[in-house]
Amino acid sequence: MIGCYDFCGHYDWTFDWLKRTGGEPLVREYWNEAINHDSQRHARDLIQREGFAGMIKYWGHTLAEESPERAYTITHQTGVFRIDMHSCPSKGFLLRNDLASYQDYCDHCMGWIGPMMKESGFVIDHEHNHMGQCWWEMRLPDAPAGHSKPGDVAGEIDVRLQPNWLASGAHLDRYSKATDPDAKMR
Amino acid sequence: MNPPVTSELPYTDTKPQGSADFYYAINATFRFLLRSQGYAGWRRYLEEMGRGYFAPVNRQWSQGGLDAVARYWRAFFAAEPGAVVEVVQQADRVELQVRECPAIKHLRSGGREIVREYCQHCYYLGAARAEATGLTMRLSGGNGRCCHTYARPEAGLPPQDMKQIKEAGL
Repeated sequence: MIGCYDFCGHYDWTFDWLKRTGGEPLVREYWNEAINHDSQRHARDLIQREGFAGMIKYWGHTLAEESPERAYTITHQTGVFRIDMHSCPSKGFLLRNDLASYQDYCDHCMGWIGPMMKESGFVIDHEHNHMGQCWWEMRLPDAPAGHSKPGDVAGEIDVRLQPNWLASGAHLDRYSKATDPDAKMR
Repeated sequence: MNPPVTSELPYTDTKPQGSADFYYAINATFRFLLRSQGYAGWRRYLEEMGRGYFAPVNRQWSQGGLDAVARYWRAFFAAEPGAVVEVVQQADRVELQVRECPAIKHLRSGGREIVREYCQHCYYLGAARAEATGLTMRLSGGNGRCCHTYARPEAGLPPQDMKQIKEAGL
């Protein structure tokens, strides 16, 4: 039986299997069809229906379940919803267990959240450091702001202000007003 | 149930049990693979996962025999939320008597359309893992209650009858 306890391990392995089978297009198709439109359809429905309020409901519940230590924060101000992930339970599982089948596991989040936000009418500013820390800001496409300065939205809990943000081994992938996992700026 | 302090699982987490909503993703992955790769492709995915991703478990089983098989499955189901499973070890086999499958239970409670082939995944995955360790695996039942048997070759289990595996559904 495939279990949920080590889900992130076989999820990562699955990305690599898909890449070997059908290349990166099949991986992107999987993230959108299987995760955005099927597995996480409750998130998609909620955010399409309620916008920012739906994001607060969805990430408030999901991150609490996946990360009981609450090693993350969510912040909502007028026109922006922000997540600061201080210790990703998913990437953390892979790092602790020395698992890395796919070349960049972190891409899967933009792989399904990006298309979901596009369908819901939002764009994303985002960075991840490949060490279990990342931040996300969701806004309407015509919002003037983007890539807020560290601390501007989340205050002192902004993950970019933490000493491990640029720790040894960290390297940043950056997205600006994006919804496509391949719109990565290095 | 909580996993034992010294886990038999090859990959361990900081929390005692997994998040049941991941069963949604597993079910969705099967649906995607069955549509995009066909039944044969889905079966190949499971068999390659059994030999590849689960290689550390297979090594444990090869070295530790049926004792290791029984210990693994006890730890495995302790970490799956909602599982009601008895692991029975006999001289030539280990039986997993699944009274309540945690995946089927959660998919049903969430109102998710379960792929009808869902229960077959346990056979294709389990048989590949068993073959890699010199064992045989058989499955009967399904759709929430089933029995997995991991046996030594001398147990002489008859070939798997796929009709003995029930289709899954709400």
